[in-house]
Amino acid sequence: MAIDVSKIIHAVMEGSKIRESKGIIPLFGVYLSLFSVNYYNRLSFDFEIKMGKQREDEAKALLIEAAQECGYATFQGIRDSWEWEQVVAPMIESKEDQISGFVAVAVAFGWGDLAVEELIPGKKLIIRASDSYEASGYLEQHGLAKSEKCYMLRGVTGAFMDLIYGGDYPGGLYVFSAAETSCRAKGDAYCEFIARKSSHRPDA
Amino acid sequence: MAIFDWQSELNRDGHRVVISGQPIAMHCHHYNINLQKTLEETLGAEGVELLYRSVEETNYHALRHLLNQYKKIRTLKSKLEMAALLYQNCGLGIIHFKKVRPNSAYIVSTSSHHVTGWLAKHGRRNTPGCHFSRGWIAGTLEVIYERPLSYYVVEENECKMQRDEACVFHVKER
Repeated sequence: MAIDVSKIIHAVMEGSKIRESKGIIPLFGVYLSLFSVNYYNRLSFDFEIKMGKQREDEAKALLIEAAQECGYATFQGIRDSWEWEQVVAPMIESKEDQISGFVAVAVAFGWGDLAVEELIPGKKLIIRASDSYEASGYLEQHGLAKSEKCYMLRGVTGAFMDLIYGGDYPGGLYVFSAAETSCRAKGDAYCEFIARKSSHRPDA
Repeated sequence: MAIFDWQSELNRDGHRVVISGQPIAMHCHHYNINLQKTLEETLGAEGVELLYRSVEETNYHALRHLLNQYKKIRTLKSKLEMAALLYQNCGLGIIHFKKVRPNSAYIVSTSSHHVTGWLAKHGRRNTPGCHFSRGWIAGTLEVIYERPLSYYVVEENECKMQRDEACVFHVKER
């Protein structure tokens, strides 16, 4: 059975309307917040600017790491959750289907129109998006970029592979890393993320 | 306040999630707290200021857009109620506007996404850490009192991240 994205989106939208009395949204094993994409974009892109030209690579690496570590913990929580068990697990027939389930949750969270383009088990994952909020936000706020700008989605793509092929949680973080090979923010037709085994890991 | 129907404001526009037509993203405490920690550790006070300003400005524009759509919400009380309802429904926590005047305010938060997230990930900290809430409060009051951005400064005097009873914010003119 293929992963039914609409079922997952429906579950997230309905679940995100349920709050406990303390104003916290516990859903899919994590605490969710709903806030403008402009906030996240402003934070990332102004962080890069404040770090300056000399620390540009460090700024990018920190933003990607923050997202990869988050994606790893978040989607581990998600796949351990009651909601995953009820909504997504019945549609999963193979290990690889989990990646499609993760991508559907990311779409449901409003991160963009992500789709799996290619998956070579244990080796390579390609995800594409023609409207990620990071690329759209950069274009709106700053115009055409000189380099790729979807740091959050790049980190998360690596995290998806870490969770499925990186070994037992929590030891699999950064087994994979992703590159953004094209980005709408710099004028490409779509954003493309390719995750492969990290070269700096001893087991790579 | 029944005229503000929260449930109908949260929708999808294709693959985007929107509140009153404005795109939002759902993010969990792992990401929000990671971003805060990255900014604090890398840029120090400048990073804290960046986070505060980003929320202030974003909330300023978002709330102004929303209030323009709900013209019947006119009184200070109803505007504050709407803001608190928005905060709660966005999963950001509970906020009580205790004493609000045009030149000062005293605000208490008994629960928040960032406090819950920080304590879950890192435990107690030694300094107040609700920079997100401070920026959110500044933006909210600037819209409600029709002041420009940066008009108010919000300080956090007690913080649940330090294991205080509640997060207590004081607002004054800059």
